[in-house]
Amino acid sequence: MSINRVPLDIHKIKVPRGEVHIVKDRCKGCGFCIEYCPNDVLALSEEYNTKGYHPPEVVKPEHCLNCGLCELICPDFAIWSTLKEETEPIIGD
Amino acid sequence: MKRIGVYVCHCGGNISEVVDVKEVASFAEKLPDVVMVKDYTTMCSEVGQKMVADDIKEHKLDRVVIAACSPQFQGVTFMRTVENADLSPYVLEMANIREQCAWPHYDFPKDATKKAKDLTNMAVAKARLDESLKKIMMPIGKRVLIIGGGIAGIQASLDLGDAGFEVYLVEKEPSIGGKMKQLSRTFPTEDCASCILSPKMADVPMNPNIHLYTYTEIKNIEGFLGNYEVTIEKKPTYVDPAKCTCCDKCVDVCPVVVPNEHDQGLTSRRAIYLPNSIAVPHSYVLDDEACLGLFPLACSKCRDVCEPGAIDYDLYPEEKKFTVDTIIVSTGYEIFDATQKAVYGFGKYENVITALDLERMIVYAAEGNPLKNLGERIAFIQCVGSRDEQVGNEYCSRICCMYATKLASLLKHPHPERDIYVFYTDLRAYGKGFEEYYKRAQNSGIKFIRGRVAEVFEDSRTKKLTLKVEDTLTRQIIESEFDTVVLSVGLRPNGGTEKIADMLKLAKSPDGFLQEAHPKFRPVDTLKDGIFLAGAVQGPKDIPDTVAQASAASARATRLMNQGEYALDPVMAFVHEDRCDPAKCGSACIEGCPLGAISVNGVAKLNEAVCKGCGSCIASCPADALDLHVYTNAQLLSEVESVMQDKKKDETRFLIFADDTTAYRLSDNVGTAKMSYSVNSRIVRVPSCGRITPKLMLQSFKAGADGILFGESEEKSSPFPHVISTINSNIAKVKETLKQKKVEEERIRFVQFVTVMLVGFVNNVNDLADFIKKAGPIPDKERKALI
Repeated sequence: MSINRVPLDIHKIKVPRGEVHIVKDRCKGCGFCIEYCPNDVLALSEEYNTKGYHPPEVVKPEHCLNCGLCELICPDFAIWSTLKEETEPIIGD
Repeated sequence: MKRIGVYVCHCGGNISEVVDVKEVASFAEKLPDVVMVKDYTTMCSEVGQKMVADDIKEHKLDRVVIAACSPQFQGVTFMRTVENADLSPYVLEMANIREQCAWPHYDFPKDATKKAKDLTNMAVAKARLDESLKKIMMPIGKRVLIIGGGIAGIQASLDLGDAGFEVYLVEKEPSIGGKMKQLSRTFPTEDCASCILSPKMADVPMNPNIHLYTYTEIKNIEGFLGNYEVTIEKKPTYVDPAKCTCCDKCVDVCPVVVPNEHDQGLTSRRAIYLPNSIAVPHSYVLDDEACLGLFPLACSKCRDVCEPGAIDYDLYPEEKKFTVDTIIVSTGYEIFDATQKAVYGFGKYENVITALDLERMIVYAAEGNPLKNLGERIAFIQCVGSRDEQVGNEYCSRICCMYATKLASLLKHPHPERDIYVFYTDLRAYGKGFEEYYKRAQNSGIKFIRGRVAEVFEDSRTKKLTLKVEDTLTRQIIESEFDTVVLSVGLRPNGGTEKIADMLKLAKSPDGFLQEAHPKFRPVDTLKDGIFLAGAVQGPKDIPDTVAQASAASARATRLMNQGEYALDPVMAFVHEDRCDPAKCGSACIEGCPLGAISVNGVAKLNEAVCKGCGSCIASCPADALDLHVYTNAQLLSEVESVMQDKKKDETRFLIFADDTTAYRLSDNVGTAKMSYSVNSRIVRVPSCGRITPKLMLQSFKAGADGILFGESEEKSSPFPHVISTINSNIAKVKETLKQKKVEEERIRFVQFVTVMLVGFVNNVNDLADFIKKAGPIPDKERKALI
């Protein structure tokens, strides 16, 4: 119904934004972090790490909400996020 | 030997102006078993009914035939008259010589009189074989399901709860209150909507007879009056209302921000939120689709910060089943999607808003935090999405003229320097206090201009809007700039209504809203026993009318449930046990009933609680052992033979088998609208066309019919499932025989109707009549060889 509308009070609200840190060489290319990121911040990169896998890369850095699911779900402790700043929410993406 | 009394009604001139009633009466006197014939001006009046009762005693009548209006109109009245005179109500027959004779054939009085005689002959033939049946009494409890918790559902549940009935109120949003809780003020009194709604909402959970289920949807409803089995699915809110203290800490930490539905997306909310300030139940809700994720758990900030520990993620949708006796549907409306009118720029231009957006803005402005500056010059555009064939909504949405006047007044009073224009087509101020309110609005300086706005343009720099419209009363084209344009959007049926209508197989009116059983006399009933409508689900209306309908629906439901039992029509299948031999036929009848009402134990047995009386099973018995009470095989054959009597050599006559639910009602509607069709038609009433076996169709042709038209409900609104396929297979068998015996297949036709398809009915009947006229009557030799 009102999904494609930008609320008028959007400028008054701040949400946490995270910076994603990836240790490329720990990654074994399982893809869990890409699959489970709630805001689709990550995608499989084209480059290879030293083990021969494709690690993730950040494609939508401004959408990261610092929820920490990538950190919890990675079997190899290869990815985590830290709180960077607080910005306006982005509606509809 | 039967003693049949026949009455021919003049119907105050409605019949006697076209049909020669005296001629019909003297014709009836000559029919076998008829011992008394009278004609009178108004049979349904108290005088007329008393005459029938007295005659039954005096002449010792055991069957009564009344040639008058449609049995669907006064049939129940006369059945009661006959019952009060100690006869079975099922020995009364009516010949429909008004809606199906005098009215459609007003141009052909001679032919109409002949047809009236045939129809009376047919009714006497049926009456001769009538059985003295009684209604079957079934138990009914005191449980009601109310679907939809807006003002209609709330009012109905309070009325029924207070009356001592057990109410299940199901609402799909997390809070009850519907659209009314979003409004600012109501017309014409300018009462604060939330202030008058809130106490009623609060009364609902306090009433011990009401089971309130919010954030719940109906998954399935099966059954019939007195035994509706309901399955609901309650979605988890993940917040325990008993523990939650409404401290709001969870809202502050939630990282997800989405548009707030309560404010039409004009403000935002988090994934965990309180639906609105007057929410009932007053409880926070975690929207699991907006939330970053619960399985696997992505965030958990809200649970971490909740001190009373009210948040639990390990919850799942809960299914619940219960049984109710009656149902009230009050699923309300949605507003017209204004993006469909691209010329007005809604969704593109930021200063074009809908009326519901403006309601929310006024609420915020009244609290001292305006959402937006609306400017000095404001325009209202009426009839957006209503009275508009282009978007497919021909109807008027009824409330928009008044709500626009109200919104204009609410904007003008605090800022009299504002220039407010309302561009209308007609200003409809029909209700109590409405015209006076409109007058006051005009006097306060709001300018009402009659003209439909052609287009809205935006100045991309200032974001102001220019309207182009013709003022039809001064014949001038106006192009004027405004700060804000408000679209008075119309009302549409919503997704919940569609879903429930499909589930319960409820009929829809041409405008898409749900159809009432009779527009004048049964405005809150549906054609399904025990299911009622209340509020905007039946058609656009304002709050007083909605509340009135809700109380009306409660009264109708009470009427059915209050006495602990209700009466069932004895129109049911039965078995001629002397002809039934399961060893020979392999029990084909068991499959023949789509409801599973037939079982075989030595002979075939009928389950009367399940049988709906459609007659589909009859054709499946090779030994003709299955039959239908009130419309037996013998009666139908006798009806068909008598209505075809006295046919002249070149005369063509054809039968229309019309089902009780739709086609018979439709043909009454056609007559009431005084539309004409071929006078060679003879309509035979059946509970469903599934009842007509191939044998009976061939017997009809043999008796003199030159064509047969079957009229039946569409499958989706039919009370009998699978009857369409039974009818098709029966007709296919007969077409085979016709082909073999060199008779044209096109003489037999099947059309599925809806009760508003007036022109469709006339065209189909006339098509068949024209075909038969061209092809001529079936030659005698071929006719006799058919069966």
